[in-house]
Formats: sequence, C-alpha cells, structure tokens
Amino acid sequence: MQTLSNADLRVDPSTGQPPFLVIDNVSKVYPTPTGSYVVLEGISLTVREGEFVCVIGHSGCGKSTLLDMVSGFRQPTEGQVWLESQPITQPGPDRMVVFQNYSLLPWKTAFENIYLGVHSVFPDKSKAEKEAITREHLEMVGLLESAHKKPGQLSGGMKQRVCIARALALRPKVLILDEPFGALDPITREELQEELLKIWAEHQVTVLMITHDIDEALLLSDRLVMMTNGPAATIGEILDIPFPRPRNRSRVMESPLYYELRNHALDFLYRRFAHDDVE
Amino acid sequence: MTAFVVVDHVDQAFRLPNGQSYVALKNINLEIQKGEFVSLLGHSGCGKSTLLNIIAGLAKPVAGGVLLEGRQVTQPGPDRMVVFQNYSLLPWLTVRQNIALAVNKVMRHLPAAERHDIVEQHIDMVKLRHAADKRPGQLSGGMKQRVSIARALSIRPKLLLLDEPFGALDALTRSGLQDQLMQIAQTHELTCVMVTHDVDEALLLSDRIVMLTNGPESYVGQIIDVPFARPRERLNVVNHPNYYALRSEIVYFLNQQKQAKQRKVKQTVAIARNGLEKINLEIGFVPLTDCAPLAVAQEKGLFQKHGLEQVTLSREPSWKAIVEGITSKRLDAAQMVAGMPLALTLGLEGNAPTPIVTGMVLSRNGNAITLSRSLYEAGVRSLADLKGALVNHPHQTHTLGVVHPASMQNLMLRYWLAAADLDPDRDLNLAIIPPPQMVATLKSGNIDGFCAGEPWNSYAVNEKAGYVIATDLDLWMGHPEKMLGIREEWANQYPETHLALVKALLEACEYCDDRRNREEIAELLAKPDYVGAQLDYIRAGFLDPYDRGDGNPPELLLRFNQFHVDMANCPSRVEGLWILTQLARWGITAFPRNWVDVIDRVNRMEVYRAAAQALDLPDTEPNRSSFALFDGTVFNPDDPIAYLNGLPIKREIRVEEVNIDQPAVVVAA
Repeated sequence: MQTLSNADLRVDPSTGQPPFLVIDNVSKVYPTPTGSYVVLEGISLTVREGEFVCVIGHSGCGKSTLLDMVSGFRQPTEGQVWLESQPITQPGPDRMVVFQNYSLLPWKTAFENIYLGVHSVFPDKSKAEKEAITREHLEMVGLLESAHKKPGQLSGGMKQRVCIARALALRPKVLILDEPFGALDPITREELQEELLKIWAEHQVTVLMITHDIDEALLLSDRLVMMTNGPAATIGEILDIPFPRPRNRSRVMESPLYYELRNHALDFLYRRFAHDDVE
Repeated sequence: MTAFVVVDHVDQAFRLPNGQSYVALKNINLEIQKGEFVSLLGHSGCGKSTLLNIIAGLAKPVAGGVLLEGRQVTQPGPDRMVVFQNYSLLPWLTVRQNIALAVNKVMRHLPAAERHDIVEQHIDMVKLRHAADKRPGQLSGGMKQRVSIARALSIRPKLLLLDEPFGALDALTRSGLQDQLMQIAQTHELTCVMVTHDVDEALLLSDRIVMLTNGPESYVGQIIDVPFARPRERLNVVNHPNYYALRSEIVYFLNQQKQAKQRKVKQTVAIARNGLEKINLEIGFVPLTDCAPLAVAQEKGLFQKHGLEQVTLSREPSWKAIVEGITSKRLDAAQMVAGMPLALTLGLEGNAPTPIVTGMVLSRNGNAITLSRSLYEAGVRSLADLKGALVNHPHQTHTLGVVHPASMQNLMLRYWLAAADLDPDRDLNLAIIPPPQMVATLKSGNIDGFCAGEPWNSYAVNEKAGYVIATDLDLWMGHPEKMLGIREEWANQYPETHLALVKALLEACEYCDDRRNREEIAELLAKPDYVGAQLDYIRAGFLDPYDRGDGNPPELLLRFNQFHVDMANCPSRVEGLWILTQLARWGITAFPRNWVDVIDRVNRMEVYRAAAQALDLPDTEPNRSSFALFDGTVFNPDDPIAYLNGLPIKREIRVEEVNIDQPAVVVAA
C-alpha cells in the first residue's frame, strides 16, 4: 500500500470522503532516438463521483494517453492516478473503456459479446444470473430484439450501443469513452448522446469522455477539460457547464449561456490554441 | 444571362430488387452563379450525394438535366472534378505522382516542363512540399484530403464538387482544412458545390446553403443566404450577430426533417367529438412571458371545458418556426406576433401568400428596447442621446436585434428610430435573432441592443448586460402584441372548433388579467414546459415593479402585460390597418389597395363576437378613429396612403391590388 502524499488526496470536507478520482501531477514522457518526447506535462484533475467530464483538444494533444492512464493501459512517467485512494497500476473491470471502433468480437452475437465480459468479471455468479445481467443491459440500450445478431448485422449506432451495454454490465466505477460517437452520422450521434445521458443518470456512473465536438461536450458534461497542444500538453482551462439536469438538447441550446460557453470554447481551440495539421 | 450551372427539373429514381422504383430526388431546380460556393445539406439518404453525382455527370437523372455554361452535362469530364470523403488516391504513388497522373492525362498537350510546374505549384498550394515524396499510407487523413484537393484543382476544373470532403476527419482537424479550402476557393475564384452534414462548416464556407428534405422524393426545402463578408475568418463569422440565428434555423430545419420521418408513421387524424369537428389540437407558442393565456388555458382546464379534450402545446424556438409549423400544417393554431397574420396572408418577403385568420388578440404591450451597457456608459439615456451617439461614431455600425420582420418589436423599434430621424436600415443595422439568443448575442458584444418581449429584457438587466431605454408603453400604450393565428382553410374546415378555441382563450385571458392570479401564473410560466426562466425575470413587469437597470428605482407598470381589460382581445381593424402601413413602409409586404377586404378576411370579428357573446363578455370593437403614437403623428384610418406618403423615412412603397385567392397567377400586361 502506497501512502497518500499529495494535498489533493486529503478528505474532502464537504463529503467527508477522500476524493473519488485524482489525477495527480501526471506527466508522460517517451524516449526517442533524438531525446525524450514529453506528451503530457503536469496534469492534475480531481473528479467527483458521478461526475460527467469531457476532454477536448486537437489531435495529438495526448487526450487518449491521459485516459489510458486512468484505464491503466499506460502508466504515468511521473505522478500518479488514484481511484478511491487506490493507485491505478493496471486495467481493471472497475474502469471500462468504450472505443470509437467498437472492438466487438465479430463471430459472437451481441448477447454473447456482453455475456463474455460478464462471465469473466463475475465467474462465481450462476449462469441464470449472468444471463439476466446481459439481458438487462441489452434492454437498457434497446437491443433486446437484436440479441442474436452478430456485429456484421448491426449498424454503427447499434454496435456502439452493444459496447456501452457491455461496459456497464460489469458495473464499473468509471466509464471511459474515447470519442465513442465520432464515426456515427449526426442523427444517430444525437440519439446516442441522449441515450447516454439517460443511462448515465440511471447508473450514476462517473464518466470521462474524449470528444472533438463542442456541442456534444456542452450537452453532456458537468465540466469540459480543454487541453493545450502537444508536445508537453497540459490542461489549458476547465469550463463549468452548469445547465440543469435532466438535460434536453433544445432546452440547453436556447440558454444564452450555451452560446457564451460555445464561443469561449471555440476561442480557446481556434485562436488561443489553434492547431495546424502540418505533420 | 443564364446561370453558370443550372439544375433543371431533375428527378432521380432507382430500381429496387422487388421491381418497384425508389424516387430519390423530385423536381430539383437550382441555379449556381460563377464563383459561388454552394453547400447541399440534409440528412443521410436525402439524395444530396445523388444530386452531386448528377452534376458531376457520374449519374444520369431520369428526368430533367444539368447545364454547365449552357451545355448539357451527359458524362463525367475534367471540367467538373469531384473530391470524395475517402480520398481515392493511388496507394502506390507518391503525393507528387498522384497529382502528376491527373495533370499528364488531362493536359497532355502542354510541354512537360509546364506540366511539371503545375504539379509543383499545386503541391505548394496545399502546403505539402515536405511530404511530396510520401505515399498515402504515410500521410494523415487531413493530408490525404489535401492531396486529393490539389489533384482536383491541378487540372483547372470549372466546377469543384466536394462530397463530404472532411467527413472522415475529426471536428478539429477539419477546421484547418476548411480554412485552406476557403482560401483556395477565394484566391482562384472557384465555383464549388459541397455536400456536408456539418452546419458550422456550411456556414463558414458557403454563399448559399441548399437544404434538402428527407427522401424519398427529396426536394429543396429551403435555401439560406449566408451574408458574412469575405474574406472570412472563423471566429469573426461566429461572432456575426446573425450567426447563431442562421445556425439555429438550419438545425431547426434538420430537426423538423428528423421528426417528419417519425411523424409519417403516426399521421394525426381529426377526432370529432362534443359537437366540435376536431378536439385534438397542436398549438404552437414561443416561450415568453406573454404566452400566459395558452399556459393558463391548458393548466386550468379551459380547453377541456370548451370540449377541446386533447390540446398539446408545442414550444417553438423562434417565430420562424411558428411560420413553418403553420404553413406546413404541423400546427393547428399558434400564438403569433401581431403583424404575422396579415404579413403571411400577403406573402412575407416574397414567399407565397398563406391566408391566415385571427379571431382574437392574446396580449397587448409587454416589450421593451434594451441597449448595451457600453451605450449606457456612453451616456445614452434617451432616443436623442442614441441619435447623438450614432452621429458621433459614423464609422461604427450599430446593430439592434429584433425577433421577426412581422413582429411589433420590429415595427415599433423602426418607428421609434425613424421618429428621431434615424433610418433603421441606413443609419443602423437590424438583425433577426430568436428571442432566446438575444441576451447571449448582446453579452458577446455582437449586437448593441434589441427589442424583445419578456423575460429577455429583465434577463439582460439582471445579468448587467444592458438596460431598458424604453418600454412599449412609452411608444404606444395598449398596442396589439400577440394574436391567435390559424390557417384560413383550417378555420373554414373546423368553424366550431375555432370558436371553442377562441372561447377557451378568452376565458384564459380574463383569468390572466385578474392580478390575484398573477402569482400563480408567474410560477406556472417559470416551469420548463413554458418559459423555463428564473421566476424573478418573469415577475418583473408581470407582477413586480419593472427595473430598467438604468439606476432609477423599479416602477410598477400595471399595463405592461395586458391580456383582457379594455377590449384587449378584440382584433381591431384599425390597428390591423396601421400594421399594414408599417409592413409596407419597410418593404416587408406590399400595401394592398384592397386593404378593407384583406383586413376583413384576416381579422375575424364575427368569431370574436360570437365567442365573447357566448361568454357574456363585451363584444364591441373600439371606435374607428384616428390615433397617434408617442411622436404625435396622426394616423387617419380613412387615408392610409396619405399617411404612408407623409412619412419621411420609408422604403419604396408598393401599392398593389392583392388577390389572395390566386397568388401564383401573375399575368404580365
């Protein structure tokens, strides 16, 4: 057991609990033949339990690297990520990730894809229990009728629903979404955003989500973390998104604050931290 | 002269496996000028790529055709180059070789040295010199798309066609390419047609946005002119006072199309009951404090009481959405700004006339003119001060927001400005902005003020973004503000329903003007189903003293929201006539020579009277007499044309005989 050294890890006086998820002064450096390459430098962020946080930034700013250190796929070069006072050292079912490219097993049905996850995390549960969990989560994303279909028979939106169901079936503490709707057409994307809001409210799961879409972030998140450009990217600014919940897209869009926040984020991304796609 | 590209009555259909045919496009007409950038926007499956392919010559329409510089397009050609989403580069060739392949093929008549120069020049144009010898596999998505743009332009096409060129790139990478494309299109004066899903992309790049309805049988649903000056810069465009108004208009169109898809499944049929022809109604309103009568009729069971058992109130984001809802027959009835029934009947801004009737006024007063804090700090306290501020800064454009051309906010703001010898179109700029966006636009400094209903003025005052320089009580106490609007055809089809609706709303209006009920109503309006704003902002003027935010103590304005007293609900014909003069004054509609007929047809006094009598309420119309607004100019209802001619500031006035029943047939003399 490591000791908690940082001030950030002290008990939050408002809740009497230690903070839920703490990214504590994290840097990520890769050695290269020409010297070390700093991807992220000195990132600190504390996330409350049940919070919905979006991360936005230009490509190459290290957003995915940052979230990989929460999921445990990568380790920070410096600093540490803590979940409920435990250091994160490896991936685990308490932090589930949904990627843009679905990553479902193509030879298994939607049901089997989810069941597989449930089985590997809850091996001691009875078959009936595991099947019930699987069905419950398929129902949650409205896919009970497509349970027997394989990924090849599902649309992009349906595949992404299966992935979300699979992730939540394992009852994670943190759901990590890496641009989950980037490959979907605008209508399906909007539908899934609305579904995600509902699921998030029902499951009260903590969400970290990478997006490139300011409107998506404004609709979904409690806070929007805006990253500066790499190398040595860091958090440039955090926007509070105070729209009341439950949220409804047109209500959010008619709030004068929506346009203020949107313009502020646009200014951050296109003026203060503009990015040229010249590799 | 004919246009550069003409898409003339194009239909496209595909054969289905079951032997039937699927009509993708129906009767598409579109003209594109040389140097113009046009975007095609619509949902997946709306046929926008199909249309692009027809212009490219990659597909032949089943009917109609496309002309490029007067010649029919029958096959693909190097004068029309297409850039696809998936780049379609040859993977074994380098950037330079991919471009050279096209140049060497199409321009083989040129000497090799010249062709070489063209290739190099286009590599530079898309800033890929450092990657000229790389193969597609070594490039990012954005770089690959730059190669395909360079390749397309290297052979000097007359027309550049882009099929969701940046769709595969993330939203932020897209921005760099959009900027580059915009620059290239400007420098080379390209004519471009681009298919896109992305509203912001369309607004940034286009001169016009053509929006297609959902298939099957897609057609051009609406065309939006994008007025931003060129050269454009992303953040300047976003800060244009109209940006978000246009953006929400497009988003609204797309949402309507999305919902239309779902609605097709459950077509609503009229349910007749209780001696009424239709008891299931969809009524549109805009979330403003003066939607109170509709909210009260619904919540206090007044619709129900008059037999209208299934009334749904549809909360609409803008007055434009109300127009769309009524003309598309999605809505049975709607709250309308007072000029709207007449303006729609005459044909608003060149649109086909839609005869509308109104059986009652729903509210009077309730608006204010709010100006920005910076004008306050510049010492502007009166209309004369405002004029002084404008005269002192002749090079600065001042923009004021109004909610709809046919709104009293527009007509009265213009009247107010003109009374001080300010021309609302020449000395200032007026922008149409939906009410909910006013305060944000004011706060961001993109407008200098606005004229709107509540709670938006109080919102601006409370947010310290502005102050109220005048309420409409200062301009014309008791003016009609919101009316009940219904399509004439609907009113003729469902006369008993219309009467029941007016009765229910008359009772609701009476309830609203009993100040003992105001507390309850304010709380009702604050709910998200209705206005959904902070209670304090709704109370201001409605219930509490009105704070103008100008340092003076708040003042109780008993008539600020007037719903019933003093014959408030009577759709007076004299007031209608004044509105007609102002619509004509500013070129919004023609002035009908047969104004008596037109007003009689729109302002349905007989419905109002029948409803009032049934409820034992006074049913008289105010006297038909001259009146004056704050400036004292007398309006004589017996001679509106002399009145119009006597107004010093006005646009060119068209006086025409308006035949509402045969709008389309215009026979040249």
